Amino acid sequence: MATEALRPRPMLRTVLGKTLSEQRRSLLWWGIGLFLAGASYAPFYPSILENAKTLEQYMNSMPDFLKEAFLGASADFTSPAGYLNTELFNFFAPLLLLLFAIGAGARAIAGEEERQTLDILLSTPIPRRRVVIHKFGAMLVAGALLSVLLWLSVPLTGPPFDLNPSLVDLTAAVFMCFLLAMAFGAIALAIGAATGRRALAVGVTAGIAAGAYLLDLLVPAIDSIEFLQLLSPFHYYLGAEPMMRGLDVGNSLVLAGIAAVAFVAAVVLFERRDLAA
Amino acid sequence: MADVIVVDNLTKSYGTRRGVIELTYSVAPGEVFGYLGPNGAGKTTTIRTLLDFLRPTSGSATIFGLDSHRDGVQIHTRVGYLPGEFTLYERMTGGEYLTYLGNLRGGVPLDQVRDLAERLDLELGTRIKTLSHGNRQKLGLVQAFMHRPELLILDEPTQGLDPLIQQVFYELVAETRADGRTVFLSSHVLPEIERVCDRVGIIREGRLVAVEDIGDLRAKEIRTLDIHFAAPIRPDAFEGVPGVHEAAVVGDAARITVGGPMDAVIKRAAAFEIVDLRSHELSLEEIFLAFYGGDGHGD
Repeated sequence: MATEALRPRPMLRTVLGKTLSEQRRSLLWWGIGLFLAGASYAPFYPSILENAKTLEQYMNSMPDFLKEAFLGASADFTSPAGYLNTELFNFFAPLLLLLFAIGAGARAIAGEEERQTLDILLSTPIPRRRVVIHKFGAMLVAGALLSVLLWLSVPLTGPPFDLNPSLVDLTAAVFMCFLLAMAFGAIALAIGAATGRRALAVGVTAGIAAGAYLLDLLVPAIDSIEFLQLLSPFHYYLGAEPMMRGLDVGNSLVLAGIAAVAFVAAVVLFERRDLAA
Repeated sequence: MADVIVVDNLTKSYGTRRGVIELTYSVAPGEVFGYLGPNGAGKTTTIRTLLDFLRPTSGSATIFGLDSHRDGVQIHTRVGYLPGEFTLYERMTGGEYLTYLGNLRGGVPLDQVRDLAERLDLELGTRIKTLSHGNRQKLGLVQAFMHRPELLILDEPTQGLDPLIQQVFYELVAETRADGRTVFLSSHVLPEIERVCDRVGIIREGRLVAVEDIGDLRAKEIRTLDIHFAAPIRPDAFEGVPGVHEAAVVGDAARITVGGPMDAVIKRAAAFEIVDLRSHELSLEEIFLAFYGGDGHGD
């Protein structure tokens, strides 16, 4: 019995592996959710195509900034790429990935600290820095897995409904959506690592995300302050419309940069402080 | 050989709250050092500073000659630690948990883990979620001992253990000491400290009030005897008896406070017919009151 209980377990070799392995059930549900989110739009595509004329007339009657807010800059929602851009990648996909990433980031350090599992973990010869690195790595891997499922949902469910977008652009859209989510996940990680408080990390990050989203949405309506858009991480994802225009390397680097800065902040702030008992 | 733990003028304050104040003491190799104090006295604060979870406000703590903060990771390879309060990953089994921690320590001999689990009567295949408090405490002990560390730092190690398992724990401490390894353990229970420790540091309200050899502490030990005699005895019957600090006789009842050997008192009492005799050990609070001039309350 004892021998059996102590058999080697590859996933338990590192903090990264262990973190992923304990998330496996919740990852499964998130994965199903993201796949269904991606799949759920395909069945409605044919009816959109049928009513394209009417819809276009209706949309054209809207003021430009509203059109842009709801449809994206191209205001094209009848092509497969435009439809997916408008319906999936402008709101639902980033929302789900962000929720996942913020939860994972906040839980990474602050969750262990609040549950009082951190003391024993850090009493092993694992430097604090490495715990943050592994937790961040686990978030990246989990986010990437979910992104793959989101990606798969389109080619697996779209073709019967004539929803056949460019898979290269689809990859770009999923990738940039992933980067956006990881940026906010890393911010949640940093707040959690700096304070040891999970709920605070979730709340503040969600608040920042909501504020940044509104900033990106509303600021363009007023020309004089349009530049404020540049402050919103959403601008670099939504504004790039990767589903329509392919990968935007510069914007991707900005999003990755936000994640990197937040990650470094997480390491530095966690190294410096007292840990809660 | 150089001291294993050197605490030098260590102060830790949390804003306005007191943590620990100007602690200075050291622990020698092969020693079992008890850290005794009421709850809230600063024991856990000291211990968590030794492990670099808290950073000193001033002063320093050195372990194996290495700085607790700068060389934390190097120190941790050679230390086993049991926190006073902890949670284990609920969804893992005990075996998975120990495997994980063993991996993070670069591998731990499995026979060692198995042997410890057996001695502590701990089932490793069970999910931690379903384990009792005592079994979780055992799991905490196994992870602290399993890599045979040179130094064990144990915060209230026997809480929640039943007496038989406590016994096993005392054996483990004795074996560790026999190996020449060092144990630093905290407790708020004096008899436990007396039982396993060579020396004791007594902490109260964040300050170290004394560091004593256990033998010296025993010599100082005070007990109260309540004796009920068959007939009233002379009020001065226990006056001048060696070891008696105080004797209050009212009719057929006497309450006598005794320090050191009991022989003389018992022989004097035996001159009368005794109905009942009870002995009480002083509580930690009473000892503080008697020796260290405080009320023993942490906060």
